[in-house]
Amino acid sequence: MKTTKSILVALTFLMTMSLSAQEIVIKPEKPVMEVGEKLSIEAYVIKDGQKQDTPVRLFSRARRELFIDSTLTATAYKPGVFDVIALAQGAGRTNFQITVNYPPITEVNIQDVPEKIYSGTPVSLKYKVMDKAGLTRDDAAVTFSSSDESIAIINPFGVINSTGTGKITITAQAENISNTVNINVVKNPIKTIELSVDGDQGRTGDVFHFRAKALDAKGNEVADAPITYSFSGISSNSSQEASGLIRQDGNFVANQAGTYTITASAGVAAGLRSVTITERDVARKIEMVGQGSVNDKHTSDLWIWEGVDGRDYAVTGTWGADGKAYFWDVTDPASIVKIDSVQVDARTVNDVKISADGTICVISREGASNRKNGLVIIDVKDPSNAEIISRFDENMTGGVHNVFIYENHIYALSGGQKYYIINIDDPKNPKAVGKYELDTPGHAIHDVWVEDGIAYSSNWGDGIHMVDVGNGIAGGSPSNPVKISSYAYPNKANHASFPYKSKTGKFYVIGGDEIFPYGLDTGKGGVNMAGGYLHVIDFTDLDNPEEVARFEIPYAGSHNYWIEDDILYVAFYNAGVRVVDLSGELMGDLRAQGREIAWIIPNDANGYSPNAPFTWGAQLHKGHIFYSDWNSGLWSAKMEPVKPQETKIQSK
Amino acid sequence: MEIMKTITLKRSIWAYALGMALMLIAYSGQAQNYYVYVTAESEDEVSVIKFDGEKAENIKDIPVGVWPAEIEGPHGITVGPNGEYWYLSMAHGNPYGTLYKYKTGTDEVVGTVQLGLFPASMQISPVTGLLYCVNFNLHGDMVPSTVSVVDVESMTELEQITTGAMPHGSRLSADGMKHYSVAMMSGELFEIDAFNLKVARTLDLDEASKMLDMDHSKMDHSKMDHSKMDHSKMDHDADKKEMDHSKMNHSKMDHSKMGHDMGGMKHSAFKPTWVSPHPTKDVVYVAGNGQAEVLEIDTKTWKPTRKFKTDKGPYNIDLSPDGKYMVVSYKTAAKTGIWDLESGKELARLDNSQKVTHGVAISSDSKYAFVTVEGMYDESGKVDVIDLSTMKVVDTAELGKQAGGIAFWKVDEE
Repeated sequence: MKTTKSILVALTFLMTMSLSAQEIVIKPEKPVMEVGEKLSIEAYVIKDGQKQDTPVRLFSRARRELFIDSTLTATAYKPGVFDVIALAQGAGRTNFQITVNYPPITEVNIQDVPEKIYSGTPVSLKYKVMDKAGLTRDDAAVTFSSSDESIAIINPFGVINSTGTGKITITAQAENISNTVNINVVKNPIKTIELSVDGDQGRTGDVFHFRAKALDAKGNEVADAPITYSFSGISSNSSQEASGLIRQDGNFVANQAGTYTITASAGVAAGLRSVTITERDVARKIEMVGQGSVNDKHTSDLWIWEGVDGRDYAVTGTWGADGKAYFWDVTDPASIVKIDSVQVDARTVNDVKISADGTICVISREGASNRKNGLVIIDVKDPSNAEIISRFDENMTGGVHNVFIYENHIYALSGGQKYYIINIDDPKNPKAVGKYELDTPGHAIHDVWVEDGIAYSSNWGDGIHMVDVGNGIAGGSPSNPVKISSYAYPNKANHASFPYKSKTGKFYVIGGDEIFPYGLDTGKGGVNMAGGYLHVIDFTDLDNPEEVARFEIPYAGSHNYWIEDDILYVAFYNAGVRVVDLSGELMGDLRAQGREIAWIIPNDANGYSPNAPFTWGAQLHKGHIFYSDWNSGLWSAKMEPVKPQETKIQSK
Repeated sequence: MEIMKTITLKRSIWAYALGMALMLIAYSGQAQNYYVYVTAESEDEVSVIKFDGEKAENIKDIPVGVWPAEIEGPHGITVGPNGEYWYLSMAHGNPYGTLYKYKTGTDEVVGTVQLGLFPASMQISPVTGLLYCVNFNLHGDMVPSTVSVVDVESMTELEQITTGAMPHGSRLSADGMKHYSVAMMSGELFEIDAFNLKVARTLDLDEASKMLDMDHSKMDHSKMDHSKMDHSKMDHDADKKEMDHSKMNHSKMDHSKMGHDMGGMKHSAFKPTWVSPHPTKDVVYVAGNGQAEVLEIDTKTWKPTRKFKTDKGPYNIDLSPDGKYMVVSYKTAAKTGIWDLESGKELARLDNSQKVTHGVAISSDSKYAFVTVEGMYDESGKVDVIDLSTMKVVDTAELGKQAGGIAFWKVDEE
């Protein structure tokens, strides 16, 4: 039997024994406050019934809502019940609670009240509840009532359904505060719905633009008619249901081949149009061409480029290993040859990038032995003799996770917090000239990509930020980066961003998640799965970016990607490389629409973890797809050419 | 008689042998196992190292962190005063680091709280029950950082106390009422009132180091321009013959007028990386990583009293609970120094098993020092176990990459 001998435990026990006779007293015992109030709390120690001079400290566990200063004065900022810790030397600790009352509700504000409702058309009431402290009270229970239910009723969710006509009063009440609005329910003038569309045949994934016009008996347009769009369909495949997405602006996309009927309605009036959808039929064969094996450590990112000698080269990083980056000759993608390597003080070389002229390589460093991480600039004019030019770690010692080179400047993340812009006109003497950092609480950054003078950074919960670093649209420059636009999506997992100018005139930025819902076994032999997907954001209107589509592979997760000629090449970790047709307008679930052209998974029985594909990034270069895999190194593949269409598809 | 003697002798031999055997049995029955928790900063693992007096072995690797594809960097580690929980600071976050609370033995996570940038070393006061963790913040510009104060029962950050640039080393006085840390870049020692959570005193360690080197008899004071110094904060008590630097407010001095332009934030040459209070005396020991020395600071007078010249890069310090030894990791030299605190002499300077010596933890019985050695590149992290009686490395255990933070957990008797 083991006996744990711990001096510390004994000391603690003795200490506890010696403290047992003392007690902290709080007065009032159960403090109650109002928002905005200050309250002096009495706290003291008693021993054997005698009040002691021992000082007591009080600490609120929610400082932003309830703050207690060193004079034991509590200030209430928000309502709720808050835990407070009382500490006194020799008397241990006591926990108690302070209640800050919810302020009384002062206003139920009904917003955007329609002047009139057309009988039979449902209308949702928008409202906001405010309290005395000026706080919005989403928690408040609100009840609704109609003054005449023979004309209209209102359900518990605030939706008005009218069946008659006449003037009614709608009342919304929270606590003892109510507000009423007068609504005139008028006879519905809408007799017909005229529905137009820009085509009646197409493929899955094609976006149709339905537009409805409500007309009265005389054929005049009822401009304020509330139109609702919906669809039904019959799939060409009896084992699959017709599915798609319709938005309330009338845009529709089908996922399955079949016939779809779109309905635009306003009350009992409705307009219908049907479209015929065929399979998108973009699938192409893909074949593995070559591999440059790395099976003694994990491989990270890659970059492929044409060298100054006209041959083609690749650089790959390594992860959780010995700080090496490898250089490859990939001129013959079927025969990938390792030609050189550099080793830096790091455990992870997460990112590798090459300048547009093919002469400079920059690699990131994490896990340095002296914790002074940063980046390393390498001369790759002769990639078989890659030479380190300089190291840069000023303001970078927290770790550089990703980098980019654009027009003689390196964009380098620092400590997951911001990115610095470093001039490398003289690569021996890199010099930071600017930085970009958000001002949101707890902000963080994961990646940055630069194209046409615009930096696209990926900022987890703060989403995608577009920053002018020389484009001119906002007067920015490398030394004066100026934000243009941003978009954040709810899952807060924005890890990569890539701009895509569609031939349709739309300007998209594709934001990728990085999520590991099943954890990650980083050891040799570990087999892993990832999560997360690609979000397609329409940035055509920079002031109002909108998420319009997604690409998702079940039980796998997105990582790094590349877009060229309307085709997306994306690494999906355990699902390998996926090749996706981005042509035309994008809306809805791209994979469900049959936009996936091809996929290839790099299985390697001799990998660092055998048969455990975990693809990191993909890049198209001179017709070949190159991709790096965490467990097996660098690969190349090639898709068969586009096959001629046997049947001409009628364009919209 | 001879026969009797022989029998007696034989009996004696047998008795001796029996006694020895019993002693051996008794000794083996009292064999002790020592356990330490160690972080592998570039592996995102914490390992449990067991040492039985002869052999050190890694008995458990505990994966830590939540961002699997990135190195989150488990850095600081400490075991709570009652031994029930251990606490781990994860250096990298988004961007703030996180403090994790684990149950000892089962090593399950029971609580987390977000702290500042690169939370590092920490300790819990047995008196206040609060955990004090420095936010090392080596990200970006060198600005003053903080010490986070955490209520570990509820895992709530109660306060962030601003100290200096790149604070490191976080240790409490024996009475648990004073917290000490150093600021590596600004070269300061901070004493925090652990109860009122306020900085009580600061000490310029570069100046403190120089003070011990000064031979005042050879100084030419005639070259000093006192008119450019701000003496207003000095205690000019005429009865005092000795200048009391502790009462000088260095922050109010205009260093630019003193002929040594600091060029913004001071970059300490002393580069303090650790501070350890003595278990019974009113002194603390500060590692001067940049100047290969350890300073002894008297916490009553707030003045340096002794200087220990070390090998290159003294980094972490631990003092034996019996107050006899100071064990210092020499990070740059890849060695460990063992000092006799009474005589001020270095008793041994031992080679570590590989490069980059990091942390030190001494067993509660003052018998063994456990020293982490990071290694470089993809080398495994290591823990060298030093017998403080023989002053030799007894054994080495391996763990994941970049072995760093170390905390003594317990000693078991079998």
